[in-house]
Amino acid sequence: MYALLVFVERYSECKPVSESSSSTSLSAMGLPHGNKTSDVNSAAGSVPTTLAIASTSTILTTSQNVSGSTRLSLTQSQDFPTSTPVNCKKATESDTTPVVFVRRGPMDRNRGAGKDERNDLSVIKERVLNAVSDQSLSGYRSVTNKTGNSPKSMPNDLVTLTDVPDEYRTHLLWEYYKVDGDKVPRAEIAAMPLLSQESMLLDELLHCLTGIRESLLVPQKPIISAVGLAKYDTDFDIHTHLDRSLTHQVREILPLASYFMGVQKIIAATDGLGQVMNSLNEALQELTHDFYLIIVQAEQELRHNRLTLQKLLYYLQPTMWVMHEVWSSLVIIQLSDSRDAEVLTYLHERIKRLEGNKDAQQLIIGLVRKAAKPYMRMLQMWIQKGVIVDRHREFLVVDNEVIHRDELPEHYSDDYWERRYTLRDEQIPSFLAKYSDKILRTGKYLNVIRQCGKRVMPTQEMNLEFDPTSERHVSVINDAYYFAARMLLDVLLTENDLMGHLQSVKRYLLLNQGDFTMQFMDACEDELTKNVDHVLPMTLENLLGLTLRISSARNDPYKDDLHCELLPYDLVTQMSKIMKKEENWQAQPRLDLSGLECFAFTYEVKWPCSLVLNHISISKYQMLFRQLFYCKHVERQLCKIWKENSIARQFEPQAASLYRAAFTLRQRMMNAIQNLEYYMMIEIIEPNWHIFIEKMKTVENVDNVLRLHQDFLDSCLKNCMLTESSHLNRSIFKLCKICLKYCEFIQITQRYFQDAELRSMVRDSADSSESEQESLHCPQIETPLDPTDTFSERVRRFDLEFTQLLISFLKQINSMAKKNTADCFMNLVHRINFNAFYTDQMDKMCVEDAIG
Amino acid sequence: MPSEIITLQLGQCGNQIGFEFWKRLCLEHGISPDGVLEDFATDGQDRKDVFFYQADDNHYIPRAVLIDLEPRVINNIMTSPYSKLYNQENVFLSKHGGGAGNNWASGFSQGEKVQEEVFDILDREADGSDSLEGFVLCHSIAGGTGSGMGSYVLERLSERFPKKLIQTYSVFPNQDEISDVVVQPYNSILTLKRLTKCADSVVVLDNTALNRIATERLHIQTPTFTQINNLVSTIMSLSTTTLRYPSYMNNNLIGLTASLIPTPQLHFLMTGYTPLMSDCETKTSVRKTTVLDVMRRLLQPKNMMVSALTDKQSRQCFVSILNIIQGEVDPSQVHKSLQRIRERKLANFIPWGPASIQVALPRSSPYVQSAHKVSGLMMANHTGISSLFKRALAQYDKLRKRNAFLDNFRRESMFQDDLTELDIARDTVDCLVQEYEAATQIDYPQWSPAVEASKAG
Repeated sequence: MYALLVFVERYSECKPVSESSSSTSLSAMGLPHGNKTSDVNSAAGSVPTTLAIASTSTILTTSQNVSGSTRLSLTQSQDFPTSTPVNCKKATESDTTPVVFVRRGPMDRNRGAGKDERNDLSVIKERVLNAVSDQSLSGYRSVTNKTGNSPKSMPNDLVTLTDVPDEYRTHLLWEYYKVDGDKVPRAEIAAMPLLSQESMLLDELLHCLTGIRESLLVPQKPIISAVGLAKYDTDFDIHTHLDRSLTHQVREILPLASYFMGVQKIIAATDGLGQVMNSLNEALQELTHDFYLIIVQAEQELRHNRLTLQKLLYYLQPTMWVMHEVWSSLVIIQLSDSRDAEVLTYLHERIKRLEGNKDAQQLIIGLVRKAAKPYMRMLQMWIQKGVIVDRHREFLVVDNEVIHRDELPEHYSDDYWERRYTLRDEQIPSFLAKYSDKILRTGKYLNVIRQCGKRVMPTQEMNLEFDPTSERHVSVINDAYYFAARMLLDVLLTENDLMGHLQSVKRYLLLNQGDFTMQFMDACEDELTKNVDHVLPMTLENLLGLTLRISSARNDPYKDDLHCELLPYDLVTQMSKIMKKEENWQAQPRLDLSGLECFAFTYEVKWPCSLVLNHISISKYQMLFRQLFYCKHVERQLCKIWKENSIARQFEPQAASLYRAAFTLRQRMMNAIQNLEYYMMIEIIEPNWHIFIEKMKTVENVDNVLRLHQDFLDSCLKNCMLTESSHLNRSIFKLCKICLKYCEFIQITQRYFQDAELRSMVRDSADSSESEQESLHCPQIETPLDPTDTFSERVRRFDLEFTQLLISFLKQINSMAKKNTADCFMNLVHRINFNAFYTDQMDKMCVEDAIG
Repeated sequence: MPSEIITLQLGQCGNQIGFEFWKRLCLEHGISPDGVLEDFATDGQDRKDVFFYQADDNHYIPRAVLIDLEPRVINNIMTSPYSKLYNQENVFLSKHGGGAGNNWASGFSQGEKVQEEVFDILDREADGSDSLEGFVLCHSIAGGTGSGMGSYVLERLSERFPKKLIQTYSVFPNQDEISDVVVQPYNSILTLKRLTKCADSVVVLDNTALNRIATERLHIQTPTFTQINNLVSTIMSLSTTTLRYPSYMNNNLIGLTASLIPTPQLHFLMTGYTPLMSDCETKTSVRKTTVLDVMRRLLQPKNMMVSALTDKQSRQCFVSILNIIQGEVDPSQVHKSLQRIRERKLANFIPWGPASIQVALPRSSPYVQSAHKVSGLMMANHTGISSLFKRALAQYDKLRKRNAFLDNFRRESMFQDDLTELDIARDTVDCLVQEYEAATQIDYPQWSPAVEASKAG
């Protein structure tokens, strides 16, 4: 199209710039505006008859409009092969804007060069104008009819392709087919005068440029084994009898024929290979059309004997450069077997590389713009509506959905976010690479919104077009993205009150609602201390419902989403499973677990909150819950014996000292457990929650929400020692266990020593030493403990065991903290060992370890 | 409705501080003086049901039992705007209305006489709650009704409800001024025995310190009861915030106190509060109050509600500390503050067991505008509290040596024959002092009270 303009402008510089190129070109051809379509059609129709049957198919594919009517007009005599693309042009071309914007470059460039020829040009222009105004259709015909030596006289049926192998000609229009019937005798060229030689040569050359075989310029046989650029290159043999000067000039022009043919070959070869290719080919057809126009104009000049080889070379020079660029670009695309987005990527990069060559750059820009059209249309559908229409799998987003959401299993939401829509990396054009993530998310958000049963109503019309010279598409993508992100956030946060749900989850699963937890424990303690096989889930559920209704949780709108769950494994097992992300959680042979160890709350989440509170998240909450809940249980048991032990106030002062060892041990346990709870709740969960809430205030999209939530949970899990790598949680579990055992022991012995001491008080206080003895022995007689044990002996052993566990736990943390200073486990050590009470013991143990 | 707490107010002092306490709770929970929930407080996330219950007409009624042997204070309450708040059936006034005459023995024996009526009320209240957690008793240990009748009620209470927690807010007499009650030392010792034996935890409110704070820190020349009681009510309400605004921890009385009290005898808690008003008078607060600031101030003796703390160099030490900090607090600061206190050794701790500062950060009432961004209460178990008992013992011994002012005691049946009850009480308190002394030593777990202490009686 660019080349055309050069040509047209040279002939008609006075024409208003705004006039559309198609009309310009058509009028330049001398076709009256009124009936140009039919005329052009008729002109097109003649091509197959005059040239090659094989080409019919090509014409049909390149232009849908060359329909049956075209073929019906076969009888019309028309022998001007170049008109076929004109028809294509007419049929497909509707917008002429690209031409307008490429206009400037060539004009500027040629202005300087054209000065010396101004006189000549003005003459030519005048003639062309005359032709435009005067020539009727018949006049045009008469002009074309004068070219009596064109191949129209060849027999229709004798088309043989002698020297071209099949694989090279299947799709092609005219690739220098050798027509046997072409026996028109030619005068011996050498015998002609130079002027005639030139005229004849020009005639042949123009044909040659459109791919018609002639006698003076014979294309060499394509080398079948050619690879690389050569595959799409054609060399010509020039008749040796031609004048040398002519030969020389012809050689200059002939590469254009080769380029053009190469382009045509590639167009034909890539036809139907996806929308992008089709669209690119369409743009190339326009180029072809423009090229034909030049040839037409040149031919017209030739008919008026105004064309010399020199002139032609001059006119065609810019076209040659541009065509070379197009050809080489296409060949590279073709050779690298690029498709779809890759083509766009390649062409886009080409633009940058052509920074110095403005004409070619403009041309490629035009090509990219056209070629990107279908792609951008898909993109627009996606970011505007979240819909993918992509039969050829060209788009950068893949929809992996197979079944509808409602029919999916419960863990659906986990995968939804990650797996439903994914990027096709190889289908991302380079100019969209930076935004691919945004694009993916935009449509994803829209789809989620739609699945929430909401209509997606874009606020403004968007018109997404790719323009390599501007970044407008970026702002359109950004707008769409922000719109979708905002909307989905609104849906999640405002309409579905995600934060409210998270608050509720925190309240129950992270024990933030302490009074509810205590109340629930009060209610369920009996049930939960049973073996898990004997726990009735219904009972728990009922008790939970009751507790929720009478506790301060009754005002919580989401309280009914809370349910009980008895997991078939304990925390340690669950943890390893979560961490390893095992898919098949087959129930292992159940160990002897109490209901308490298996119990967890679960929270029922509905779409779309389940996007955030998905199965994995809930599992993580549950892990935290189980550890906290277990610690809380231990704390409660310790509190219970604390209250029961307080009876010792009424013991004789001397006797009370006997139990002090037991009490101080209980105190140490309480200290450890409570500090552990404080650490997890106040130092880990609460600050992390605060950070999470703060960040949520400025959150911009749902992916951020997901990430923040996950960060929150992971940070809690890690710092609450619930990661598999550290075996700290096992130590915690053991610590809890020993505390529980101790509580049990104290509860059993309590009534004995209580009896002993208080009875002794009733007696005379004089024999208090005896009562002391009694109290020492009472427990061992009636309890199922080892009969050789005394109370204080038992306490001492508990003490030993507990202290050892605790010290090794603290030491474990210590050594971990040395390795990784980022963790805040050390805070727990500082808490438990706040007054350096355990320091000596820890040091001692370290020394022992060092020795042993 | 779990973990309900019934409040008993005994005697002049008990009823006065109780009155202030309920006033304060009403304010914090948005309950009007006649028990109606204010419009602005309907969506509260607080737990009113720990201290209040709702009548048929949804009025909030305190779980309070008001007991006195003379009508003056209770009549005052009943003519105040808050008269409609209380359940009239929960008010017990002695029929003759003569009071106990500042005599412990009189109060004790009167308590015995009216016990049926009193415990009818208590039983009714206890039955009216789903899972009663315990009782809170407000009284002074020096007077007649609060100390004498209080002691009697305390004994019966612990017998009748052995599973329930009993916490007292006990006001100790002002040592700085000469008391008009001459038998105050007897009263104190006799009450202290019951507090030692029957109460699960005693929050000591030392009038000496309270007055000193009022005059020195708050610059009130002659502090009135109301002003002092205001201080007390602040402490009482703050120490119960974790129950009323539940969060992760310390959501019931037992969880709150169990960690503070390692062995049954060491259950006398002192409190500290910041900021006291004078702090804000020095308006040179150039920077933000941090958690560390609050925690550091709480460790300073001048902010203690007990006049017993000696300086850091003494061997007295903390058994346990719970800080309740309210206001704009960054929870992540807690750990740093703890670290700082630990590094600087700002607090002495017991050598015989682990001890640490627990920090609770409860929500605060949205309806009470505090002038301070951050406020804190410390509940601490400190061995220094024994100096209070020592002081009481010394005063007792002074009187007892002369057998002074015992006539009024001998009039009551308990002391008719002999005064052994006084001696036993003295022994108990002495033993307590010894135990606190011992608790500063590393061998406390093996410690046993000196035998001569019991022989001395």
